[in-house]
Amino acid sequence: MPLSDFTRRRFLAASAATAGLTVGGLPFAAPALGQGKGELRIGLLTSLSGPFASLGESMRAGLQLYLAQAKDGIAGRPVRLTVEDDQAKPEEGVRKVRKLIEQDKVDIVCGVIHSGVALAIRDVVAASNTLTFIAGGSANNLARKAASRYVFRPTKTNWMLGSTAGTWAAEKISRKNVITIAADYAAGREYVDDFVASFKAAGGQIGRQLWTPLGTTDFAPLLTDIAAAKPDFVYTFFAGSDAVRFLQQYQDYRLAGRIPLVGTGAAFDQEDVLPAVGAGIKGAINTFHQSPSVPVAANKLFVDAYRQARGRLPGEFSTSGYVAGQVIAAAAEKVQGDLTDKDKVRDAVLGLDLETPYGPMTFDPKNNQAVLNIYVNEVRVGADGKLVNEVVHTFNGVRDPGATA
Amino acid sequence: MEYYVIQSLNALVFAVILLLSGLGLSVVMSLMNFVNLTHGSLYLLGSYIAVFWMATGQPWYLAFPAAFLGGAAAGLILDRFPFQLFYARTHLMQVLLTYGLSVVFADLMRWGFGAHIATPQIPELLRGVVFILDTPFPIYRLFVLASGVVLAAGLWFLFDRTIWGAVVRACVVDTRIVEALGINTKHVFTAVLALSCGLGALSGALGSGILAAFPGLDEEILILAFIVVVVGGLGTFSGVAVSALVLGFTMTFAKMLSPEFSNLMSLAVMAGILIWRPDGLIAATRREV
Repeated sequence: MPLSDFTRRRFLAASAATAGLTVGGLPFAAPALGQGKGELRIGLLTSLSGPFASLGESMRAGLQLYLAQAKDGIAGRPVRLTVEDDQAKPEEGVRKVRKLIEQDKVDIVCGVIHSGVALAIRDVVAASNTLTFIAGGSANNLARKAASRYVFRPTKTNWMLGSTAGTWAAEKISRKNVITIAADYAAGREYVDDFVASFKAAGGQIGRQLWTPLGTTDFAPLLTDIAAAKPDFVYTFFAGSDAVRFLQQYQDYRLAGRIPLVGTGAAFDQEDVLPAVGAGIKGAINTFHQSPSVPVAANKLFVDAYRQARGRLPGEFSTSGYVAGQVIAAAAEKVQGDLTDKDKVRDAVLGLDLETPYGPMTFDPKNNQAVLNIYVNEVRVGADGKLVNEVVHTFNGVRDPGATA
Repeated sequence: MEYYVIQSLNALVFAVILLLSGLGLSVVMSLMNFVNLTHGSLYLLGSYIAVFWMATGQPWYLAFPAAFLGGAAAGLILDRFPFQLFYARTHLMQVLLTYGLSVVFADLMRWGFGAHIATPQIPELLRGVVFILDTPFPIYRLFVLASGVVLAAGLWFLFDRTIWGAVVRACVVDTRIVEALGINTKHVFTAVLALSCGLGALSGALGSGILAAFPGLDEEILILAFIVVVVGGLGTFSGVAVSALVLGFTMTFAKMLSPEFSNLMSLAVMAGILIWRPDGLIAATRREV
């Protein structure tokens, strides 16, 4: 077992003893190289228990990997990382982000997986003018009405994935007879609505739309419906265990290979979902901002390093933690590590032109939202017999429409 | 036509999944009057045992006895300490104890097995499909269906038709009289608890091929198990089977009619049943002596 795994286990053992504890800063860097600004305090708010526990661990591992690589700290300042668990509950997220800001006096808040948590803490961080980097939660509204001056989002919005899937599927697969099936909560509704909008705009026709409650145990009745309807393809969004069950049962009922499956990348996440799903799902198409095969040097380096650290390919959330670290470091370096003038930091972030494991990243000054390439991934069987997301098409520089949408 | 046949088959399979999740809980609740909230943890433990067993390349069918034995062993230990101290106490105390333990077990399992979602490597033999009225139907689901029916029948036979079952039922009614007959009732309760825990884990092993295994599944199963046991009727064993069937069909056909409102419809049916029969579908007949 690699060393990082050991620390992960040790942390979990500790968290079993005391619920919601802080990982008291492990100074990742050598003592400061001067400048006398002391350590840079970063607070990571993520989900380490509850339904997103596995995603939260990946996000933390990604950020820790970046900090471990940045041996000299960020902009010459050693980094003190404080990790808090929001349990994927908005009210817990608010409590923990207050603790990070008021008690730990962090310079920067980052992380957040659950969109509901992201929206809930938005008012807290906006009121205290805290520099915040939402690395996971992708609700459209954070790039629109809920956008805020010092809240940056170095990841995709749901619209960026849903609308590109609609365009691509209408052009390459079929314009008629499509069934959508998705988890019935905010994210599922956004993905599917944005898919439907762009699919219709491209001349597509939508058939039945199925919504299932979060945590659905058995998809059999719906799969039997889909088999009877014989659609040209199915568009889907599920996350985590719902995704694993849906894809597994899609194969059990022999729909895989007969009815093409198109979806949101999260439903085929490289780290969270694909390892638990059988090879029958190969050929499925998904739109995502992440893939282990994104052809940029930054991604290759990251994928290799992550594999070494955790023995598996990175998915969305491990990449999001790493990219958050990268964006924070790049912005801090532009202002020589001095984060006191927040408008200067903001200008620095908005002026970034980074090569990240997601691909090139710039920020849209109207809503602080990252402009990213969106990839069309096809699930293929890799050389080692394991499933892997391969990029088959790239939508360059996709920009969320922002508040006007 | 075949559409409804297949949907009915789906409903039957789901009923068995519900039955499997409720069996172990029902055994301790109806026979020992003990509320065991660690039931979901034992189910999840069984799922993990199946996942790991099938990954080792040992004969796959041994995964199920292995899960049963693992669960039963855990039950033996839990019975020694601390369950035995709580058998005679109020339900509230039992809930407090077992809920606390279930939280501890959830963390222990996340630490030991990891937080990722795991699925067992089902053998080729079970992974295929059979064609029922020209519609492919997964063999594994039929296997689960058959296992559930066999298990339920076996338990019914054990408790209703054997002398050992008679002793257990007698213990529930009057422990002291049974002891006066020279039977050590402590051992009887230990055996029932171990059996119930073993059943929980065995159900987990069988269910893992459909539901996967991951942190949080324990709570999900516990809720299903409680719904089944409460709707079926506390203190009765056949009630669990009937309620699993009713709920399996309700939930499946609710999903067909409107997947969005399937939870609402299913819960409305459950509430209706409980208003109609507050003690559950088949209430225990209590004889006062």
